[in-house]
Amino acid sequence: MKKKFFTTIVCLLLVSALFISACGKSKDDAAGDDTATPGTEQTDQGSTEQTGGDNDSAGDDTGFLKASDPSLIPAAAKARTDTIIVGMQNTSGIFNPAFYDTSYDRYVNDTIFEPLNQYGKDATLEPGLATWEISEDGLTYTFHIDPKATFSDGTPVTAEDVEFTFKVFLDPTYDGRADLTVPRIVGTDAYKNGDADSIEGIKIIDDKTIQITVEEVRATTLADLGVYVLSKNYYGKNFKKGDLSGVKALNDKPFGSGPYVFKEYIPGQEVRLEANPNYWKEPVKVKNLVFKATTDETNMQMLQTGETDFEEGISVNKDNMDALEAMGFVDRSLLLNNGYGYIAINHKLPKFQDKRVRQALIYGLNREDVVFAYSQGFANVIDVPQSKLSWAYPDESKITHYTYDPEKAKQLLDEAGWKLESDGYRYKDGEKFTIQFSASTPNPVNDALVPIMKENYKELGIEVVAEQLEFGAVVEKRNQGKHEMAFLAVGLDADPDPYGLFHTNGGSNKDGYSNPEVDKLIEQGQKELDQNKRKEIYNQLYQILNDDIPVIFMYQRYNLNVINARLQGFDISPYKYFSRSLHQVEIVNQ
Amino acid sequence: MKQFIIRRLLQSIPTIIGASIVIFLVFSLAPGDYLTIKFGEDPNITPERMAELRELYGFNKPLYEQYISWIGDILKGDLGVSLVHQKPVTTVINTFMWNSFIIAICVLALQWLIAAVVGIYAAIKQYSIYDSFVTLLVFIAMSFPSFFLGLLLLKWLAVDYRLFPVGGMVTTGVNYTGLDYIWDVAKHLALPVITLTLLGVGSLTRYFRTSMLEVIRQDYVRTARAKGLKERVVIFKHALRNALLPLITLFALELPGLFSGAIITERIFNWPGIGRVTLESIYLRDYPLIMGFTLFIGILTVLANILADVLYGVADPRVRHK
Repeated sequence: MKKKFFTTIVCLLLVSALFISACGKSKDDAAGDDTATPGTEQTDQGSTEQTGGDNDSAGDDTGFLKASDPSLIPAAAKARTDTIIVGMQNTSGIFNPAFYDTSYDRYVNDTIFEPLNQYGKDATLEPGLATWEISEDGLTYTFHIDPKATFSDGTPVTAEDVEFTFKVFLDPTYDGRADLTVPRIVGTDAYKNGDADSIEGIKIIDDKTIQITVEEVRATTLADLGVYVLSKNYYGKNFKKGDLSGVKALNDKPFGSGPYVFKEYIPGQEVRLEANPNYWKEPVKVKNLVFKATTDETNMQMLQTGETDFEEGISVNKDNMDALEAMGFVDRSLLLNNGYGYIAINHKLPKFQDKRVRQALIYGLNREDVVFAYSQGFANVIDVPQSKLSWAYPDESKITHYTYDPEKAKQLLDEAGWKLESDGYRYKDGEKFTIQFSASTPNPVNDALVPIMKENYKELGIEVVAEQLEFGAVVEKRNQGKHEMAFLAVGLDADPDPYGLFHTNGGSNKDGYSNPEVDKLIEQGQKELDQNKRKEIYNQLYQILNDDIPVIFMYQRYNLNVINARLQGFDISPYKYFSRSLHQVEIVNQ
Repeated sequence: MKQFIIRRLLQSIPTIIGASIVIFLVFSLAPGDYLTIKFGEDPNITPERMAELRELYGFNKPLYEQYISWIGDILKGDLGVSLVHQKPVTTVINTFMWNSFIIAICVLALQWLIAAVVGIYAAIKQYSIYDSFVTLLVFIAMSFPSFFLGLLLLKWLAVDYRLFPVGGMVTTGVNYTGLDYIWDVAKHLALPVITLTLLGVGSLTRYFRTSMLEVIRQDYVRTARAKGLKERVVIFKHALRNALLPLITLFALELPGLFSGAIITERIFNWPGIGRVTLESIYLRDYPLIMGFTLFIGILTVLANILADVLYGVADPRVRHK
């Protein structure tokens, strides 16, 4: 009798334990900070192109937190007197600016290759390998290559190398990220789709001068033409029009004119570089440079033990910031990421076509709470689809700030004809206001956003049904226009032209957003070469976008670069990233 | 025996073809493709350029055409070109698979050794303190999630006590060769191997123990004891050989696992293995790599099955095939 009783109790306990464990939330580790996947609020993957300033970091005056106690630098780090070790996510090993895939490839490329021109710290173009002149009519660009410019083996960089580079980018089989048909160089079509052997609009004037003629005036042309120069002697050896395999074969044996020379690549582990002894610009301060692959799970420890001197990929949140503060010997550079998070709205659906409804949706969502829950203060709510640091950012006084105001939202919905019924939900013409929200997982933003959105909109009388999908599935659904609302993020260029995003014919405008006034202003901004006049145009444009709510603007977050205090001299901004400053860094023994 | 092998090999061909079709369909029909992921957040990509790239990669062709060209290439030994790495799939697999193999083979050896010793001893001394203790430890080890154990060991042994390096396969920035290189890799190997061994040794110990227990109960063991044979001979010569039979199958089936890599452990220890590369390629929709590798493992699994059957036949005359 007693034994039976005892057994029953134990069985009951076990069964209830099963139920309790099943109800608990399961935590997935690889889920949390999986930045190897194209996380939606990370713009690491798939953001922009060759010369675009991208997400980045490092010290300036804003957001540079100095190490509290440099004497704590670990011995392992101090022992490396002539080597910098940069920790970041794994590269794909494609070390060629024409074919690179991930941002990490690009960081490596920045130390080996150089472009004709590049964005400086404040997002204005400055000379790289060349200076330039633009003709009166804005159709002819003449580049003068610096007479001192040489490749790492001492041979001069010539106009032939530049012409060769364009031939690669405009090859009919070119499948890289850049799109050099955009500047409309004369003769592009004949070369790319026809039999022409060379591009008519590209003329070599002499060894150091090359002239490029384009078909129309565009503000972005100067930046677009500032390509990273590939050596014709090295990469052109096995090049034939229509066959880039010879060039691609050298993807893991790069050769360029930049401050560092490629030494070795251990796949999945590290890239080793050495200072270019013939660097034509200035002497490189630190002899050895290693890009070491780190993972989210171990990047902090690597800094702690001194195995890395610099870490690119630590996510900005309170726990990490506190831990880094406690470390004591690291500088932290917090700079605004050049990009933003937003909720896409499908404008083909009638319920979203009324501007008042969209404004209600943004007034009625407590974005401050969502952004704080996600970032603990390390991201800012935005009301304009542009970085606050851009020269094109509009006049703050003319912008509506959509602070959380559910009463106003309800009022707007009433005006738009959505009436509250007895069941607590709004109806119009017999249709209930429901929203299907596509949330990608894993994603810490959606974790914060979905519950708050459900609650906030329920108060307004809108039912939100959330579905969880993998990131690729969300992007695909949106691309096909089958979505209603979804959270996504985008990376911006240093140039503010938002054609792709908001123009009716924009390639990334998969929401069906169309506003003729916006179209007109975007087109004007593209054609105007004078930056001051462009600023005026964009001022108007952003005011309209701010009012018209093409997407629900969410946040602009910060990027964090962590630097061991023994490295000094980083000179960076969101438009000039750390990889372009590495050759300026020196090791200071504390 | 030879006939049996040939027959099994022929029978496996439809299986492999079926597997390849399933693999192909699964990846082709998954939402999003390589270009969606690569250019997903690029605001400047134009629809014309996307169409151009689709054309270039052949994504526009109908499914069966893509399948035929894929299979056709495979039969020629060409697994295609990885979209992400822009290198032939065979090269990519070759670069990373052997790293996973090193870990896997060390783990296999250690696991089986430890499990054999511990399991057999527990079986002999059933219900003793030793047996209960081992059972407890085994269940504890089995219950740990791999990432938890990995991170814990990493924290204790690599960060707090600096006994082992914090991940990676070689020390950064140094160029070892020969014995120095082997020693360097061995040092880096230690933690992942320890983690994986601890995780897997549990269930294997149970197998050995159970199998051994079953055999010890048999009549012929009692006869052997009655005959006056030494206990050691009874256990290790008569009982063990019979107990090992089911384990042969298990061992043969471990073979594909040697090459497929331990995804989570590789991530934690930053080991440049094929598991991690495969996972990334799924997220990035790198079809040639993922399909080629899956097919490779599929073929290995089929072959391992055949091997298991053959070995079983060799070891156990009762199961010999005509």
